[in-house]
Amino acid sequence: MNRNEPLAVVDAALAVVARYERPDLDERLRQARARLVDDRVRVLVVGEFKQGKSLLVNGLVGAPVCPTFDDVATAVPTRVRHAETVSVALVRDLDPGGDPAARRTERIEIAAAELAEHVCEQGNPGNREGWSHAEVGVPRPVLAGGLELVDTPGVGGLQSVHGAATLAALPGADAVLLVSDAAQEYTAPELDFLQRAASVCPNVACVLTKIDLYPEWRRIVELDRGHLATAGIRGEVFPVSSALRWQAVLDGDAELNTESGFPELLSYLRRRVLGQSDRLARRGVVHDVLAVTDQLGGKLRTEQAAQQNPQEAQQLLAALTAAQERAVALRERSARWQQTLNDGVADLNADIDYDLRDRMREISRMAEEELLGGGDPAKVWDQFAAWVQQEVAGAASANFIWATQRVRWLAQQVAEHFAGDRDQLLPALRNDPSDALRSVRAMAAPDDSSSGLANKALTGLRGGYMGMLMFGMIGTFVGFASLINPLGIGAAVVMGGKTIGDERKRLVSKRQNEAKVAVRRYVDDVTFQVAKDSRDRLRAVQRDLRDHFTAQAEQMKRSLQESQQAAERAVKASRSEREARLAEITTALQQLEVVRRQARALLPQPAAPAAAGPQQVVRAG
Amino acid sequence: MTATTGQLSAAARRVLSLAIDAHRDQPATAGWLHGQLLRLDEPLRVAIAGKVKAGKSTLLNALVGEQVAPTDAGECTRVVTWYADGHTPRITLHPTEGEPSPLPVRRRDGALVIDLAGTPAERVDRLMVHWPSQNLRATTLIDTPGIASVTAENSRRTLRFFGAAPDLDEDTPTEADAVVYLMRHLHAADAEFLSSFADRGVARATAINTIAVLSRADEIGGGRVDAMFAARGIAQRYRVDPAVRGLCQNVVAVAGLIAETGRTLRQQEFAALATLASAPRAELEAELRSVDRFLAAHAGGARRDPAAGDAAPGVDTATRRRLLARFGIFGIRLSTSLIRQGAGSPAALSAELVARSGLGELQRVLHTQFGQRRDLLKARSALLAADSVLRTSGRAGALLGEIERVLAGAHELAELRMLAALRAGPVGLPREALAEAERLLGDAGAAATDRLGLPADAAAPELRDAAFAAHGRWQQHATNPLFGRATAEVCRVVIRSCEGILDDLHRAEPARPGR
Repeated sequence: MNRNEPLAVVDAALAVVARYERPDLDERLRQARARLVDDRVRVLVVGEFKQGKSLLVNGLVGAPVCPTFDDVATAVPTRVRHAETVSVALVRDLDPGGDPAARRTERIEIAAAELAEHVCEQGNPGNREGWSHAEVGVPRPVLAGGLELVDTPGVGGLQSVHGAATLAALPGADAVLLVSDAAQEYTAPELDFLQRAASVCPNVACVLTKIDLYPEWRRIVELDRGHLATAGIRGEVFPVSSALRWQAVLDGDAELNTESGFPELLSYLRRRVLGQSDRLARRGVVHDVLAVTDQLGGKLRTEQAAQQNPQEAQQLLAALTAAQERAVALRERSARWQQTLNDGVADLNADIDYDLRDRMREISRMAEEELLGGGDPAKVWDQFAAWVQQEVAGAASANFIWATQRVRWLAQQVAEHFAGDRDQLLPALRNDPSDALRSVRAMAAPDDSSSGLANKALTGLRGGYMGMLMFGMIGTFVGFASLINPLGIGAAVVMGGKTIGDERKRLVSKRQNEAKVAVRRYVDDVTFQVAKDSRDRLRAVQRDLRDHFTAQAEQMKRSLQESQQAAERAVKASRSEREARLAEITTALQQLEVVRRQARALLPQPAAPAAAGPQQVVRAG
Repeated sequence: MTATTGQLSAAARRVLSLAIDAHRDQPATAGWLHGQLLRLDEPLRVAIAGKVKAGKSTLLNALVGEQVAPTDAGECTRVVTWYADGHTPRITLHPTEGEPSPLPVRRRDGALVIDLAGTPAERVDRLMVHWPSQNLRATTLIDTPGIASVTAENSRRTLRFFGAAPDLDEDTPTEADAVVYLMRHLHAADAEFLSSFADRGVARATAINTIAVLSRADEIGGGRVDAMFAARGIAQRYRVDPAVRGLCQNVVAVAGLIAETGRTLRQQEFAALATLASAPRAELEAELRSVDRFLAAHAGGARRDPAAGDAAPGVDTATRRRLLARFGIFGIRLSTSLIRQGAGSPAALSAELVARSGLGELQRVLHTQFGQRRDLLKARSALLAADSVLRTSGRAGALLGEIERVLAGAHELAELRMLAALRAGPVGLPREALAEAERLLGDAGAAATDRLGLPADAAAPELRDAAFAAHGRWQQHATNPLFGRATAEVCRVVIRSCEGILDDLHRAEPARPGR
């Protein structure tokens, strides 16, 4: 994707705007420029483990950026992006669970060779070093268009915590590549994942890897297409072979490269994913430039009209005042869009909160049922705790995805109030995945210590002593001389045994209760944290939307105000002044028109520049 | 320990007979219990389970040594199928309702073809295949549909078979005595399944009747020739992983396809491979880079290679396709390099393939873990079944107490329980002592030599000395005040096992000691 053209247009527009002393419009264009410069197109590479995700990323980039192993490998997500020189860095969140807006991160640059030690299960099992992700920059033309490939750890079942993290990252991605090898058709969890991905992510592609190994891969492709169609998922299927691609990169063999299936995948990424984001970026630029020049031109044209026809200036002024009042009204707190936004966020808060609580309550209920039916919880605690955590993680991520969808919809609702701007450009909405789960304390295991031998002996003794006392007394009545008589000892043994049995039952039910309390506390903690996170996020979104739309209203108001002043000045001006000013205005309008034409020229062209085509040639690593 | 295991079987028999008596007026229950009684004398039932496309049917074929289970690239096995030894090949369909009916026995390309004759899969309870085979004499193998299937009903059938479906009573005993669980890598779904199979019930013996197999081991690392080596390393890692240890007895890496083909290798396949192997190395490597290249190469028929001369005919596409289906790309790479290294006959190649596939190790593990414990596992299944019936029918009476007594009294079951406990969680024993305890409890095999860790031909005095030494050692451990209660319990059971070994040795005197 070529960002130079839009950049040139924005720069030209900036040069023109500089003459009008309008810092607000200037700021708007500068923001557009900044967006263009560091816009990234994020492509998530996801899938079960050992499907060849890291190899796929390496194949796409044409360099061994992600470490690969025969055994389960990736433990930390790796973001691969363009850089002038090779650079590798590890990033860690310093205060997980804090406000996502003001999150501080720690970034450590490391040598490229050390990467494997930190991102692989072998060197960093279960990511105990706690990195949030690794960033790899490589000088590859494939990535130059702003493409960022994210290699994720294998999810190992959708319900797992990894799976939940992957799901939470979905709304922030421009495309998702689901990697599955050609050994078998899709399994139920994979289809489930695709369905969820398709609901929040604009581009979903299915990559079938290792086609060099499986003779029946064409049938698997057909079967998978069938599954996708049945599930109603729109996604293209790309059969590829990373092994062939790699060999092709090494040998520079173009034919082998074609066989590997990578050119098609790359062209999909370029055409669809980058192309789409490029179209969006261009549309954004055109929109901003046209809007800014419109406002400047509006003022100039009003002045022109007033200068040419001072008699009709009064009518013009009246119309302007009315327009300005409308603009002021839009800016006010009481504006309709503000109401829509506030109500919408309030509704959203309630709905999302309800959804979360409902899901969590269901988990608590299931967990309690499980506990009551399952005997002593201390014995199965580890599996049980893992199960609860999985369920909770799944519920939290489902809630998050739903919230993201609702927020997008709300933003569009608000935008409709600015009827003049049909294709209103929405600000980027925050969707940093929640880190709440990590900041919650683990579930406390029910106490297992009280069942020790000594304790049991004591309990038995207590019962035995009671038995001996009771029956020993009876014994003394019936004629035995001593308290410790055969009857008493027999009773002691029986009652001692019974007391131990009772004690065990009591302990089990005590542990069941403890486990219940632990689960409830854990679920409460998570609910609290996730709810707080989502409220914070919504508040941030609300603020962003409000600022965005208020700024727009402000710009409109100011432009109208300037038009009005210009018209008023025109009425008072002398004839010679008027002529000189008219000439100035005509030149200024012409300048604006030049920029507008440049901006419009950005769009009708085919989205993906033709220059990207020949780049499909293999680049040796 | 054969004598005591015999006692256990007898006890199970007695309990079942008494239970049948108690349910004389309920023909269905009595019939079912009678079935359990007959089951005691049947071969051990080993079910093969795993996720979809884990290679269950392929492994079954490898174990039988014949292509009896149909295999396919898509999801293939849809109903639970039993493979038992029989005089003549026979297939019987047992519908969920109605009488069993025979199905025609047909073979295509040497492989058995099973046609349900129009009966929908959901109406089939199970298929029974009788097949004359040496390898089925001691064990009945059961092929199951994969779990995590897109067709939820297929997965459900498997779960129901194992008594793990959510709507079933948790204590319903399963039809299988032992399970071989196949996985490509350990996924959450696998662990869930394994823990659901690890039964509850009276004879709580988690993981004792399960072996995990890292199947399709040849595909690890993109089918490189050293893939099996990497696979063994991974299996080793799983073996010591505490999470996996608690779920199964052992983890073995097996290349199912290589094993199946190795055991059923045909002359013309060997000839085709030999032709391929005669081509120049670089050329063959280029052909074997991908399946498509392999199929497309020399589609015309004759070799282009002048060095091979006109006499050497090429391998045509149809043959190549068949080879791929039978060997996989890894199998062809391996076979051609084996032939180059001197495997000059089908028999030699077959032996090499089987040896490299890891099938031998699996068979050995199956023998020690399941074969030697056959009667024990059988008796355990029977007692579990009787227990569950008695509990639900409410006619327990004295019988339940009898079962409790048998279950608590049998030392073999105590050994099983203890082994499971040792695998499931940390015990306060030093590492070497833990390994010795597992061995003495019969983890590696029930024979005295296996338990004592001595070679199979060790002499009687040597065995006795070793057994006495172990006995003394563990009595010392038992009195060690630093060990907790759980550890003391371990010591107690191990000491009892040592006594059992000594007892057996004494009984076998002066004949050759052993079993």
